[in-house]
Amino acid sequence: MRCFPWRLTTSIGKYCLSAALAWPVFGIFHVEQAHALPAFARQTGQNCVSCHAGGQFPELTPYGRIFKLTAYTIGERTIPISVMGVASVAKVNDTSKSDSPAADFQKNGSLLFATGSLFIAGKVTNNMGVFSQITYDNYAYQSAGPDGQPADFRGHSNADNIDIRYADRFIDGNHDLIVGVSLNNNPSISDVWNSAAAWMQYVPVPSPTSHQFIDGTAPYPGFGTGGNIAGITTYAYWNRALYAEIGTYRTANQAFSFLSAGINDGNTTKLRGSNNPYWRLALSHEWGAHNAMMGVSGMVAHVFDGGSDVSDPDNLGRVRNIGFDAQYQYLLDPHTITAQFAFMRQKQFYSANTLAAAEPPYFLADGITPVAAVNASDTTNILRAKVSYIFQAKYGGSLSIFNKTGTTNTLNQTSGFDSNGQITSTDPEGTGIASTRVNGSLTGNPATRGWTGEVFWTPVQYVRVGAQFTAYSKYNGASSNYDGLGRNARDNNTLFLYLWAAY
Amino acid sequence: MKAPKIAIAVLAMLGVAACANIERSRNLNDARVSAKTLALQVCSACHAFDGNSVSPNFPNLAGQTPAYLVSQLKDFRKHSRADPAGFEYMWGLSRNLTDEQIDGLASYFASQPLRPLPAGGVPGIAGQGIFERGVPEKSIPPCKGCHGEHGQGTDQNPRLAGQHADYLAKQLSVFQRTDERPDGAVMKIIAHDLTEANKSDVAAYLQAMAPR
Repeated sequence: MRCFPWRLTTSIGKYCLSAALAWPVFGIFHVEQAHALPAFARQTGQNCVSCHAGGQFPELTPYGRIFKLTAYTIGERTIPISVMGVASVAKVNDTSKSDSPAADFQKNGSLLFATGSLFIAGKVTNNMGVFSQITYDNYAYQSAGPDGQPADFRGHSNADNIDIRYADRFIDGNHDLIVGVSLNNNPSISDVWNSAAAWMQYVPVPSPTSHQFIDGTAPYPGFGTGGNIAGITTYAYWNRALYAEIGTYRTANQAFSFLSAGINDGNTTKLRGSNNPYWRLALSHEWGAHNAMMGVSGMVAHVFDGGSDVSDPDNLGRVRNIGFDAQYQYLLDPHTITAQFAFMRQKQFYSANTLAAAEPPYFLADGITPVAAVNASDTTNILRAKVSYIFQAKYGGSLSIFNKTGTTNTLNQTSGFDSNGQITSTDPEGTGIASTRVNGSLTGNPATRGWTGEVFWTPVQYVRVGAQFTAYSKYNGASSNYDGLGRNARDNNTLFLYLWAAY
Repeated sequence: MKAPKIAIAVLAMLGVAACANIERSRNLNDARVSAKTLALQVCSACHAFDGNSVSPNFPNLAGQTPAYLVSQLKDFRKHSRADPAGFEYMWGLSRNLTDEQIDGLASYFASQPLRPLPAGGVPGIAGQGIFERGVPEKSIPPCKGCHGEHGQGTDQNPRLAGQHADYLAKQLSVFQRTDERPDGAVMKIIAHDLTEANKSDVAAYLQAMAPR
């Protein structure tokens, strides 16, 4: 689930952990998808490679960027419907260091029909077009069995990325100005470069916990609000050189509830008012078969704690993002070389109630040494860099690195504590341990570092087969024994195989 | 701003959208849209507003002979030009263009001044030799015989001077190895014995030729 990184950092704090575990619905992971739209191909009559670099979805070519910025209006109206599906297998390096491998690594090594999406996308009028995605997650949650333990997986559909836009283009021999407005549900989904937070992650992320360490769940620069909120942004692209966008977001309710359709109220992100600004500036240049972009973006959002009473201002936190990103592409048949770099700093100011809940004194296992007070705010820095090469738009590979660093906070320690909030020994047999194995953090530090390599094959333009390996040298603040119960970062290394198809 | 107000704003936006200006339309299936509008709103995305394309993936159209541009657009429209550069990008875009729009697009781009490109590769004397004298020992005639003294093109025979070298070399290979461009069947015979070096030499020379 990349939609709610902010909610993850707070709600999986140790103080909320027991409540989370008591919740009868397990593993609500939302899904990020690749976006290559046969509906758009039918609208323009063009091949996928026209808009997607080397056919590597969803990364756009310069032409694809113009197509999107002019509101998906090039071409002619057709039936604006596409579907896609993903089958996948994930295998985690070590499943033994777990109290319950069956729960921590569900479906490990099993072939899944993971997710499917329905797209309604295309030209509406000469100035207006739509990109909207409804995603079905075959492993959305687990029902509770008679013994209170998680039972069968259940599927669920909800609104995924939505971008409805209006644009006009004023072009003559001297100037080229594209201006537009986008109504969307995810900050930066309106962006046209693949280093933008909503787009850099390009592989699907199925829900079972065996998939929790694949690249799609590893740190990516993102905005603290995540998606399924409602925003209106306006943008301008001048002479294909300067891009500026500014907008603001609010809760996706009332007239905007379609932007979070299918997500139950307790799981939607609640923002205070409509003053949650998002902005973006980018410089781009094309020369020969090359093109490049450098940009900055940012957002300030006032976010209520997940599932809390929004009438209580003490449930209100704040999150501030500022990012830098860059992209390079070399596109000349039969070669495609692309590179992305993205860095995002996020400062999270916790709500008064979150801090109050964390206030009681805690001690180390000796019963004497107090645990440090929780921070009123935390900062994280996430860096991603990726290079890809594709030959004949068929055979491709990529290598990426990720590095997340941030402040250490007792609030984020989810492991090594007992049920009274005391840090205990690392002995899993110890009494009263409420620590979280596998996902837990003994350090309270978010540092996570690693790399992902991928090879893929696109035999025909609507089908892609890929193999991906993600390796961790640090996870939740440590290379070894990060959960306080003996699990090492490299135990999370994961092999991920997928088959993607769209029509 | 309250949600209903925003909803009204969105509806207003839709209203404005419904009255879109045909002078800035990107609709490729509307005979009312002028050729110049299509050139600026659609073609410019790859070929630039004046046909001097930035990327060698896309041929320069500026200063091209109008008859050649018309024949290519019609060949794309009826799928008789089937090289990858053609069908991947152009089949769809041209499928509902009217003859009038095609004529207008050809006139528009033919009348645009061609800007010189930087030298592609090393435009040595080998390329110049092929252009001016052909390859006599292989009975390959000189390019200028059909494409003009300055490579400027003659009616149905396209302008070559100032074209992207990468595009020219790839098209020579298309002629040589495939039947994807039946209208250029004569080029299959001419290009048959060109070596890879011949193709890149002559393409580099043509790219660097001063537009005339």
